[in-house]
Amino acid sequence: MSTDLARLIADKLPAPPDPARLLARLAQRYADRITGQFTVPARPARYAELPADLSPQLREALRLRGISQLYSHQAEAWNAVQRGLHTVVVTPTASGKSLCYTLPVVDAAIRSRAKALYLFPTKALAQDQVAELLELNRAGNLGVRAYTFDGDTPGDARQAIRLHGDIVVSNPDMLHQGMLPHHTKWAQFFENLRYVVIDEIHSYRGVFGSHLANVLRRLARICAFYGVEPTFILCSATIGNPQEHAENLVGRPVHAITDSGAPSGEKHVLLWNPPVVNPDLGLRASARSQVTRIARAAIRAKLKALVFAPSRLMVEVLTKYLKDVFDHDPRKPARIHAYRGGYLPTERRRTEQLMRAGQIDGLVSTSALELGVDIGALDVVLLQGYPGSIAATWQRFGRAGRRQQGSIGVLVASSQPLDQYIVRHPEFFRAAPPEQARIAPDQPLILLDHIRCAAFELAFVDGDSFGPVPPEAYLQVLAESDVVHREGSRWEWIADAYPANAVNLRSVADGNFVVVDRSDGRQSIIAEVDYSSAALTLYEGAIHMVQSVPYQVEKLDWDGRKAYVTRTHVDYYTDAIDYTRLKVLERFDGIRAGQGNAYLGEVHVVRRVAGYKKIRYYTHENIGYGPVTLPDQELHTTALWWQLPQEALDEAFASRQDALDGFLGAATALHTVASVRVMAESRDLMKSVGSGDASAFVERDQRGRGQWRVADDAAAGDTERFTPTVYLYDNYPGGVGLSDPLFRVQAELVREARELIAACACRAGCPACVGPVLAVDEDAAATPKAQAARVLALLHAA
Amino acid sequence: MSALIDKLRRLRNQAGVQAAPPVPAMPVPVSDALARIGDERQRLRRLLDLRPSGKPSPRMPARATLPLRGEEIAPGLYALEQRYGAESLSPLLPPRWPDCTPLARARFLCFDTETTGLAGGSGTRAFMIGAADWIGDELRVRQLYLTAMSGEGAMLAAFARWLRPDTVLVSYNGRSYDAPLLAVRYRLQRLVNPLRDCAHVDLLHPVRRIYRGRWENCRLATIERNVLRIVREDDLPGSEAPAAWRAFLRDGRSTDLMRVLEHNRQDVVTLARLLEHMDQNATPSAWLTSA
Repeated sequence: MSTDLARLIADKLPAPPDPARLLARLAQRYADRITGQFTVPARPARYAELPADLSPQLREALRLRGISQLYSHQAEAWNAVQRGLHTVVVTPTASGKSLCYTLPVVDAAIRSRAKALYLFPTKALAQDQVAELLELNRAGNLGVRAYTFDGDTPGDARQAIRLHGDIVVSNPDMLHQGMLPHHTKWAQFFENLRYVVIDEIHSYRGVFGSHLANVLRRLARICAFYGVEPTFILCSATIGNPQEHAENLVGRPVHAITDSGAPSGEKHVLLWNPPVVNPDLGLRASARSQVTRIARAAIRAKLKALVFAPSRLMVEVLTKYLKDVFDHDPRKPARIHAYRGGYLPTERRRTEQLMRAGQIDGLVSTSALELGVDIGALDVVLLQGYPGSIAATWQRFGRAGRRQQGSIGVLVASSQPLDQYIVRHPEFFRAAPPEQARIAPDQPLILLDHIRCAAFELAFVDGDSFGPVPPEAYLQVLAESDVVHREGSRWEWIADAYPANAVNLRSVADGNFVVVDRSDGRQSIIAEVDYSSAALTLYEGAIHMVQSVPYQVEKLDWDGRKAYVTRTHVDYYTDAIDYTRLKVLERFDGIRAGQGNAYLGEVHVVRRVAGYKKIRYYTHENIGYGPVTLPDQELHTTALWWQLPQEALDEAFASRQDALDGFLGAATALHTVASVRVMAESRDLMKSVGSGDASAFVERDQRGRGQWRVADDAAAGDTERFTPTVYLYDNYPGGVGLSDPLFRVQAELVREARELIAACACRAGCPACVGPVLAVDEDAAATPKAQAARVLALLHAA
Repeated sequence: MSALIDKLRRLRNQAGVQAAPPVPAMPVPVSDALARIGDERQRLRRLLDLRPSGKPSPRMPARATLPLRGEEIAPGLYALEQRYGAESLSPLLPPRWPDCTPLARARFLCFDTETTGLAGGSGTRAFMIGAADWIGDELRVRQLYLTAMSGEGAMLAAFARWLRPDTVLVSYNGRSYDAPLLAVRYRLQRLVNPLRDCAHVDLLHPVRRIYRGRWENCRLATIERNVLRIVREDDLPGSEAPAAWRAFLRDGRSTDLMRVLEHNRQDVVTLARLLEHMDQNATPSAWLTSA
């Protein structure tokens, strides 16, 4: 009788979910779509004792929170910080890195009322951190006061925080605009500042990272004024150069801790390419359809799934599809949740809580979830589209994994060239070191902005330096525009202005356009577009996508920096027809590249948007044109370029046309592999093909073939020379530090571009390798793809 | 140096910055050529074409201007004192004073600052401090103003010497503006802030309670004209003070600076008169509520 009952009960209990079964099923049924599969082995935990010199109250508080020992990396961090070393902890998500900084900070606060400043990239992370600190504080009755200090902090609370806060949790923008320019109000805080904690430093790269490095230089000046030298404790996800990046940010030597002692289960990674539905055009089924399919299978198998979608709109679409399947009974609690910016913070907190408690089966999110918010453990992570870098892909995969059990990560490629490249090179993905984070803190315009802010905060004195930079030249420029006044050996601020307000940490100099939605008679700002991209995306008539929702630009107020748009439902998108002419101003460096040469230098770019094409969705037909009259944009920046001598071209190509098609295709392939290399956002790095002296440039005609256009102002003799050149340039005035490292690896870029083209399954060319080709040639040897391959072969060093 | 400015201006234009053309100013001497240039610096230099300008150029001769009033009591610091007969010397009870005993007139110090701007933060400073108080049987107006930034420390120290432990400060919006600003300046000069421990009567608030809505605003100029019946001639508005100061620093033009001096003098005299007008002791029935 009892065994029958036992069996009855056992039958009613749900079978434990097993990712391995789902994996086997997917591998079997969709073998043709899985381009790569590999396993990251499990890792056991490595423990260490709680430090002997930890204060007893803190030890007790930890014990009450269930912590009686540390992971090895947490103990290592304690030791390094106690020795006064600036430290960066490089470990995956959910490895307990916050304890690496919480321990030294709270210990110092208990012992000597030492203060700490925490910087997080988002308010959500900041609030989580404060919540944890308060829990620890309450558990041990430690008397440590931690507060968030950001734009939402009410006015009357601010003074209390300044005077009494032991740990102030803020973000880079607030430090830049709200704290440093008012540093005298924070005098007590700065005088006792012992630690500065900066989390997620891998997200501080490119322009934003360059700005932050300068904000930290200003912080250093102010700390020196108050006579303190705080220790920096930094945390990073896995990137190719964590120590170098940390040192670039803080301007000091940093000790790196890269070995994580936290345990992790086995991870199975799948690279998934949707099936081709139109071979000629290279069109594939949508990544969304594949993701929906896999998510359904996972959730049906009782596994917890997290889906990363590329936009807010996609999150809504995917959530709807999944809810249609799993949440059709409104009386039951929802099993599928969406998570994105735009939802209220309270909603997001609730979703995080439910996730941690295991009550949600499927979560669909944008990259808003990428940073360290704790949502518990998951079985399956699905990526709709390549997030743009190897590092970001692994960070997202890092969300999956329970201690004892394996987990699955699937990257589903979209038809974007980068996605296709990654998914077709699984061995590249597997072996690729995560990208390096790059910043250019000495970029002249960024430096000027921050020296201006620094002069407002504390007068400069002759002999002062700003980080490693001597500021005299910049101070003189500021003096000439009546902002500082030089007296004796001092440079004093005299303008009636608050400079920090005019400096946006995410752009280079002012000039951003705002996109104003005028639908339904309201006016609301829905997006911001930087100056360099404005002419290409905000001309009148343009279809401008914001979070994948299409709007049409009705009016562009160029001088007022505003674009007025309304929601639209047309069946086409627009593509600007722009010509760029490049003129080389100076060569810094050069090297042989196969039969040609590669150079690094300074260029002058003139960009004109002459009109735009209207392209129907799905069929990609060109259904019309529109005019654009906007001022030319000039850009003075850094670039790298490749050139081939006339003789080599004459030998290899039957006609100029062939050579031009080859160069255009080579430029596309090189741009793709270079963007992958530098973790560039799509518009940070641009490509162009032309002659080196701006007398001619190459553009694609309607059939996708290259056309050599002579500029109106070219001298008569110039038209005879034919020197096509492929350029890759930084899309910010003054450059932003991308061209230089790319030049150093130019030979590898050429090789990778060749491999990209060779491995592409299309016949004559497609957006994923050499760019869209609409004319189909009979002769296989003369396709644009073949021509591009020929150019690259000539540039390849033997 | 002009090449540098051109380059930076060009870069800023390319980034979409709409800057007004810079005010042509005197060229300034460069301290020394850029030494210790590494690889990165070389590239930067090329971009900005940083070259030392060579010989320093002479300062432009000061144009014909009004002579500076007062005397220079420290490098970069001028002081001026004026005295007027006082009509009454009775003790005063300021509005909303915590206790009911009127205070000896000699305790009050009516003060006002002129600053380099309204932006707040550590970049804004006071270049002029004026104060009116009763001494003996006269109303004494003392003013300190800077003729060079380097005089700031001396000015703050001189002002501190005007305050005693029992001083009652009187101002118009001073609790929110002038006092915090001076606190910042004392801190930056690493001096003790003498205003922190003084009692401080800010007349803006009681004035607002009584006169709100009666005229277009409760600015000191409005109250001065309508309540105290004081009319100023050829007054330089307070909003133009920062520009007057910059013009003096840059080109030595002191005319407007002297007008600021006069404006500031009248401000503190008005404050003294306003304090007398608001004296609870004198006209207790004028107040709707007691302290």
